Amino acid sequence: MKMRFVLAAFLVAGAMSLAMASSAGNGGSKDAPKDTAAAAAPAGQSDSQAAQKENMHLEGERRFRSNCARCHAAPPKFPARMMATIVRHMRVRAAITDQDMHLILYYMTE
Amino acid sequence: MMCRFVWWPRMVAKAGLLGLFIVFSLAVQAQDDGFKAVPILTGSTAYFTRVTAGQYQDAPSVSPLLLLPLGDKWLVEAKGSYSDTFSKNAQGDYSGTISYGMAYGQIDYIANRYMTLVAGRFTTPFNIYGERLAPNWVRALQTGPLTSPVTSGSALGGMVRGGFPTSDSLNLTYALYFSSNNTHHLLATDRSTGGRIGFFLPHQRLEIGASFQQVLQADRPHSSGIFFEWQSDRAPVTVRSEYARSSGTKGSGYWIESVYRLSQISALRRLELVGRGEQFFAASNLSAATIKKLGALGKDTNEADFGMNYYLRSDVRASASYGRQFVLGKNANLWTIGMTYRFVMPMLPQGGAQ
Repeated sequence: MKMRFVLAAFLVAGAMSLAMASSAGNGGSKDAPKDTAAAAAPAGQSDSQAAQKENMHLEGERRFRSNCARCHAAPPKFPARMMATIVRHMRVRAAITDQDMHLILYYMTE
Repeated sequence: MMCRFVWWPRMVAKAGLLGLFIVFSLAVQAQDDGFKAVPILTGSTAYFTRVTAGQYQDAPSVSPLLLLPLGDKWLVEAKGSYSDTFSKNAQGDYSGTISYGMAYGQIDYIANRYMTLVAGRFTTPFNIYGERLAPNWVRALQTGPLTSPVTSGSALGGMVRGGFPTSDSLNLTYALYFSSNNTHHLLATDRSTGGRIGFFLPHQRLEIGASFQQVLQADRPHSSGIFFEWQSDRAPVTVRSEYARSSGTKGSGYWIESVYRLSQISALRRLELVGRGEQFFAASNLSAATIKKLGALGKDTNEADFGMNYYLRSDVRASASYGRQFVLGKNANLWTIGMTYRFVMPMLPQGGAQ
C-alpha cells in the first residue's frame, strides 16, 4: 500500500515538474501578446508602437467578445491588479487560452 | 480486493496533494513581471420572488467568491452560498428554509499554456451550464434547466484542464477529473471520473463539445452529453443548447436557449430578451415513491420559458420571466421576478491601485 502511494506521489510530482519545465521552456506567457500582436500586425507596420498597440486593442476586444461576451455582459474596467485576478479565474473556469487571456487583460486594462 | 479498490482513489488524491505541495515551493519562484494580481472578493447577491403553480416563494441569497492569487501561476478559489427561501404557510405566517454550502474550494496551478491542474472541491466539468452559466448574475433565466441534476454537480479530487489553439481558427478545450467519495452532509460527492472536450471556432464564435461521466459506486450510473454555443457576429444574439443522458435515475433531456440583446435600439439597449425550450425524459426505473419525491423530474416534462433582463448598470440587473411547465396531470405556470447584483472588491489595503 505504502509503496503504491509513494510511487503515485512521485509520478504526480514528476508530471508536474515536467509541466513546469515545459512552462519555463516556452519563454513565459508574458511574451504571448507581443507575439500574437506582431504576427497579426500588417507587414511594414510592426515597427510602429502605436500601430502595435492599436492592433492589440482590436485583437483584445475581438477575443473579449468571442470568449467573455458569449456568457455575460461586459464588466466595467477594474484596476489592472484586480483585472489580473479576474482574468486568471476566468482562464481556469472557461478554459480561455493563454494568448486570449493576455490579450483580454491588455484590452481590459489599457 | 474490494478494500484495495476502495482505497485506490484516496491514495491518488493524497498523492495529488503531495505532488502539488512538492512543486509549490518551486512554482512561487517563477514570478512573471506583469501585473501583480491582488486577492479579491467577488460574487453576487440576489432577491427573487417565484410563483410556482400558485405557490409564492421569496428567496434572498448571497454567493461570495474569494479569489486568492499566489505568485503568477497559482490561484485559490472558494465560493460559498447562502439563501433563505420563505413562503406563507396555511396560517398566513412566513416560514423559511435556510440553505448554505460551499460550491467549490479549489487550488489551481497554471502549469503551462496547455494545462492547468486543479485540486480540491470543484464543479464537475460536464457540458457548460454548471461551470459557466449557473451563477445567478450570469444565467439568462433564473429557472435552471430541467437537466441540471444531470449536468451540475461537485467533485472532490483532482482535475487537469486547459484550452489552447490548434490553429488560427480552432481552439481545443478539455477537462479530465477524478473524484473521491465524500459523505459529509454539506460537501457530499460521489466517487466518479469523467471529462469534457470542446472545439471553439473563434471566428465563427461557435463552440461544440461533449462530456462523459462515470460514477464508480453504488449502481455505477454513467452520463453523457453534448453542447453547443454560438454567438452571431452580425447581431447581438446568442444561442446555446445542451443535451444530457443518464443511465441512472436522473433522467435525460435537452434545452435550447436564445438570448437577444436589443443594443441596436438606443432606447432599449439595456434590455435583453430570452427564450428557452426544453424537454425532459424521466428515468424509467423510478419507484412510485421516488416519482412523488422528484415532482416534475419524476415524469416526462416539457417546458417553455420567456424572460427579460434589464441592466441598470453592468453589475445590477432586474429580471422577470414566465414559464409554462407541461407535466402529465399537473401543468404549472412559473413566474419569477427579482434583481441580481454582482460585486467585486479588492482584499488588500492598497486596493487595486498599481
